[in-house]
Amino acid sequence: MAFLRALPAVAGIGLRAPHVARVRDSRPPIGWVEVHSENYFVDGGPALTALEAIRADYPVSLHGVGLSLGSADPLDGEHLARLKRLAARIEPSAVSEHLCWSHVDGRHLNDLMPLPLTDEALALICDRVDAVQSALGRALLVENVSSYLRFADDAIAEWDFVAAVARKTGCKLLFDINNVYVNAVNHGFDPQAYLAAIPAEQVAEIHLAGFEARGPCLIDTHGSRVAPPVWALYRDAIDRFGPKPTLIEWDTDIPALEILLDEASKAQTILTEHRDALAV
Amino acid sequence: MPSLFEIQRGMSAATIFGDRTALSALGIVTDTMSASERIDIYRNNVLGHYRKALAATFPVVRRLVGAAFFDAAVDAFVRVHPSTRGDVNRYGGELPRFLASYGPARALPYLPDVARLEWAIDQAGIDADAPPFNLAALAALREDAHAMLRFVLHPSVRLVQSRYPILHIWQVNQPAFEGAADVDLGEGGDSLLVARGALGVAVERLGPGEAALLRAFAANVPLGKAASRAVAAEPPFDLPAALRRHVANQVLVGFDAPQPSAGECPR
Repeated sequence: MAFLRALPAVAGIGLRAPHVARVRDSRPPIGWVEVHSENYFVDGGPALTALEAIRADYPVSLHGVGLSLGSADPLDGEHLARLKRLAARIEPSAVSEHLCWSHVDGRHLNDLMPLPLTDEALALICDRVDAVQSALGRALLVENVSSYLRFADDAIAEWDFVAAVARKTGCKLLFDINNVYVNAVNHGFDPQAYLAAIPAEQVAEIHLAGFEARGPCLIDTHGSRVAPPVWALYRDAIDRFGPKPTLIEWDTDIPALEILLDEASKAQTILTEHRDALAV
Repeated sequence: MPSLFEIQRGMSAATIFGDRTALSALGIVTDTMSASERIDIYRNNVLGHYRKALAATFPVVRRLVGAAFFDAAVDAFVRVHPSTRGDVNRYGGELPRFLASYGPARALPYLPDVARLEWAIDQAGIDADAPPFNLAALAALREDAHAMLRFVLHPSVRLVQSRYPILHIWQVNQPAFEGAADVDLGEGGDSLLVARGALGVAVERLGPGEAALLRAFAANVPLGKAASRAVAAEPPFDLPAALRRHVANQVLVGFDAPQPSAGECPR
């Protein structure tokens, strides 16, 4: 088995179909790339071949959006098997999923639906993370999600829920700063309390993305540049966690590659400044 | 307190079907927005995602009916044919059949067949790869075994037939198309080969002989019988030329030869 490179603690970009050919052919300076695992749940064809070529030049992270760790339905064994086959083929530096659910009664919503923050949901998702980690034979990174509703029966603060999953399963955290900010606004909490509860050593990756305000709610659209308050929170996070692999995510109205690289360079500046500050 | 399963079932019903009967029992916090308004955010996200995914698979269908019509059709489709996988790469195969029975689309009788063609093109791009044809093994075969050969098609091969000129319709609705966009529905039907070759997915119009031949191969019919069907469909049919062309284009990627029977001794 080839050596698995860890994700470097530098800035990377989410790689989507419009930019695949250019990245493969011109190899721009990017620290690493992340793709959606499910986009490569295919039997063959040019997309998979392109990802293999890119994997030869960049560390790749496989980011899952459809495993539905938090479903009351049983875990989808076929989905997990496909992920396992893809991971064996690509040998990614990281494999991640979300703290959410997407299917019930065999019907998929193909979206990141919010969990009630209860002991029942926590126990279930920890079992699922355990099962996935043992199936893949590696630590899973799990990501905190944006949400637009909360349940009156919620018994656990979101940050305690996220930290508990990492503590109980030994999984790593993919800490999405934009999702923290969006939820802080949507549900009225102090994002600093969230940062303070997250165990720094478990954070293996950070996500940054843009949101959109609709009425009283912020929507995690991944369709714009990272907002100033999210950059500020990112600085705080890096101060607290140390430099971490940081990804710019952009999924709707995907802009020119140059814009993504520009956003990534802003994150890289913050990472570099942090390192320089330590060196003084 | 509702169980996790009850919450998920209630949210799914409200999101996909707009069925809010279970919503009040879920205990959704309604401080700054109502439960319905909050669910609507998810409803827009979920339906929007399917609209976008199917628009990418069926761009010509969307163009033929317009965006608003297409979105409404997708919303209705999702309720009847839910996604059952965590990826949407294979989602939408039922759309052609759905459109055939979708009342508002009745005025466009060719629409389901155009959808069938777009589905074939989309899926051919992600079907399995195949190793190159082993010509040496074919050459080594005894001539008396030829009639019982069964050719194997590339996994991406799909044969699409229609009584309408769907390839012409598809061509004039490509974004880069320039020229006369009028299609005479009476100009005749199509028998199409969709396959992924070295340069990507290609669509080709087949004559009656080749269509019969490839259909027979797809049904695992041995060469002798398949050839007779091709000749019957389009006499005189040049079988060697057709085979050479489809091997060269990676439409045929292998063959199964019958084993010599037990009583037969190799000479």
